[in-house]
Amino acid sequence: MAGVSVSAVSKSFGVTEVLKDVSLEVRKGEFVSLVGPSGCGKTTLMRIIAGLETASSGMVTIEGRDVTNIRAADRDVAMVFQNYALYPHLTVAQNLAVPLVMRRLSAPQRIPFFGRFIGDASAQFAAIAEETKQTAQMLGIAQLMDRKPAQLSGGQRQRVALGRAIVRHPRVFLMDEPLSNLDAALRVHTRAEIVALHRRVGAATVYVTHDQSEAMTMSDRVAVMMGGEILQIASPEEIYLDPIDLRVAAFIGSPKINALPAEADDKGIVTVDGLRMGLIAPTRGPVTFAVRPEDIMPASDGIPARLTHMEFLGDCALLHAETIANKSPVICRIAPDQRPRVGIGEPINLRPDPAKSFLFDGNGKRVRATLAKLKPAHV
Amino acid sequence: MSEATAAAYAIAPRERSRARSLVGDAGAAWLLTLPAIITYLLMILLPLAGVLALAFTDYEFGGTSFRWIGLENFADMLKDRTFMASIRNTVIYCLFVVPLSIGIALLLAILIEAGARGRAFFRAVFFLPVVSLTVAMATAWQYLLHPSIGPVNAVLRGLGLGTPNWLGSSDWVLVSLGMIGVWENVGFNLVLFLAGLTAIPRELYGAAEVDGAKSAWSRFALVTWPLLGPTLLFVIIITMTRSIRVFDSVQTLTQGGPNNASEVLLRTIYQEGFHYFKFGYSAAITLVFLAIVLAIMLVQTRLIDRRIHYG
Repeated sequence: MAGVSVSAVSKSFGVTEVLKDVSLEVRKGEFVSLVGPSGCGKTTLMRIIAGLETASSGMVTIEGRDVTNIRAADRDVAMVFQNYALYPHLTVAQNLAVPLVMRRLSAPQRIPFFGRFIGDASAQFAAIAEETKQTAQMLGIAQLMDRKPAQLSGGQRQRVALGRAIVRHPRVFLMDEPLSNLDAALRVHTRAEIVALHRRVGAATVYVTHDQSEAMTMSDRVAVMMGGEILQIASPEEIYLDPIDLRVAAFIGSPKINALPAEADDKGIVTVDGLRMGLIAPTRGPVTFAVRPEDIMPASDGIPARLTHMEFLGDCALLHAETIANKSPVICRIAPDQRPRVGIGEPINLRPDPAKSFLFDGNGKRVRATLAKLKPAHV
Repeated sequence: MSEATAAAYAIAPRERSRARSLVGDAGAAWLLTLPAIITYLLMILLPLAGVLALAFTDYEFGGTSFRWIGLENFADMLKDRTFMASIRNTVIYCLFVVPLSIGIALLLAILIEAGARGRAFFRAVFFLPVVSLTVAMATAWQYLLHPSIGPVNAVLRGLGLGTPNWLGSSDWVLVSLGMIGVWENVGFNLVLFLAGLTAIPRELYGAAEVDGAKSAWSRFALVTWPLLGPTLLFVIIITMTRSIRVFDSVQTLTQGGPNNASEVLLRTIYQEGFHYFKFGYSAAITLVFLAIVLAIMLVQTRLIDRRIHYG
């Protein structure tokens, strides 16, 4: 059963179309990342799921219930905001308690001091205190309960924000770039913690990030968004190994995939700079030939290029080159001991692995090529 | 780099160290603060000391001598019916103006902030009384509140209600002046509240909504009110000191009348000092006035500050 389902949602701010006919399904207990460059509409999509923004058209359901026209407070979603959005005047304990207090107590019961004497308020407060304590212990912030947010470090605030989201066991858990304000070391650490937390809580989770490594390492599935559309939604492996759009291939993976202008002749034989790439395209005419840095190697024969820069990274080395024919940049990732004995500015031949190369048509859509029987060779 | 600047760069550290050895770091700091210290002494502390000294004398302007009379001026105040009336009226005026002008300003600020358009327009409209001169506007008020030809009473008469003599009866005069005071202060407070409201992060309202704060009231109680705390404290202090200092509307519209019913503290100081030339007595009242203002500020910053988060 779908935890969250977004179908054909569009959103415009005035004349600007931010989301174009977006559909997305997140299963119960699944962790889905929305990843894309800033301005791609990922945060807007999340806010529409949360109910903080209304869709111009389309439908949102949560566990089968149509919530398109239901306000955020009634959707049973929890959200972690980019800047945590902790209530600065409340202590950690009070911050954690807010979602429970708001839901379980009536307005008069929430009046400071006097409210405790109305109905069962006193018992409710005791129960809430117990639950917030458990949540705090789970997140390791139990010793901070009496502090105000201003007295906490970035990582601690982040935990409080997480705690406030999970304390009432929501059906849907939304996170808007929760790690972007943390330093690099803490980010990697918290990444693993959030994944562990998600496994414990088990709610359908939508995680917005612009950082592809976060999306790849944390998610069950990754949705790559660009220009208000979801280009591809698949497992991290599939996104990386089988991208269906050039923009997806270019966005995921670091260093970026090498994209070279290529040509498919009337038999579909694909050539880059006049050199056969060992692929047969179903289309004819200009295409884009793309290969990941680790799938292209310096060799005795291959695409003629010139070495421009070399980086040694310890476990690997990056060769930066540009092709002789049209100066397209190419990066190869090789084992350090395979570094060629070539000086900067000297010619080098680069041979891609045809089985791990991709073809894209003029619109950037993937074209399924078949491997040529012939070994790649000069025309 | 030219040779001259190169030379200057080369010399600069030596010059600096020489200057430092001459007066030392602390000395340099004092030297730099000196203009401010002198101005402060001349412009604020010296006059204050003068007032302080005068308050214990029977000096009258133009007099050739004066006596030190100790606390006699303060003892006289307790017997002075005009002074007691002005204290009472100032307190009533403040109790009327402060809550009303703050409450109305807050309400208007929230409405304007929530509105989609016209923010700048409404802000300008409500700020207008602040920039207009009270003395000039007094004429308009005089006309509006005129018992027989004023439009306010014309409307009341049309509704079949009573037509009080707004500025002429001792029962109504403080209410009338209070309403004018509210009218003067609302715009100022409104602009301060609007600034305070825009400083509240939007995300907090999103968080409050997701956390289940469904009614506008609960979002106000959870986010707006507490986060406006620092602004509110400032607004309370400003409005209190502004309304304790009420003078020009009283002076132009009622001259403290009828029968001292609108006599206020500042007007008493003015009357005693510049009308009867009793500088000593006037200075003593000024001290009382300063003591009240200081006490209010002290209580507010001590009491409220503790409960307000500024992080």
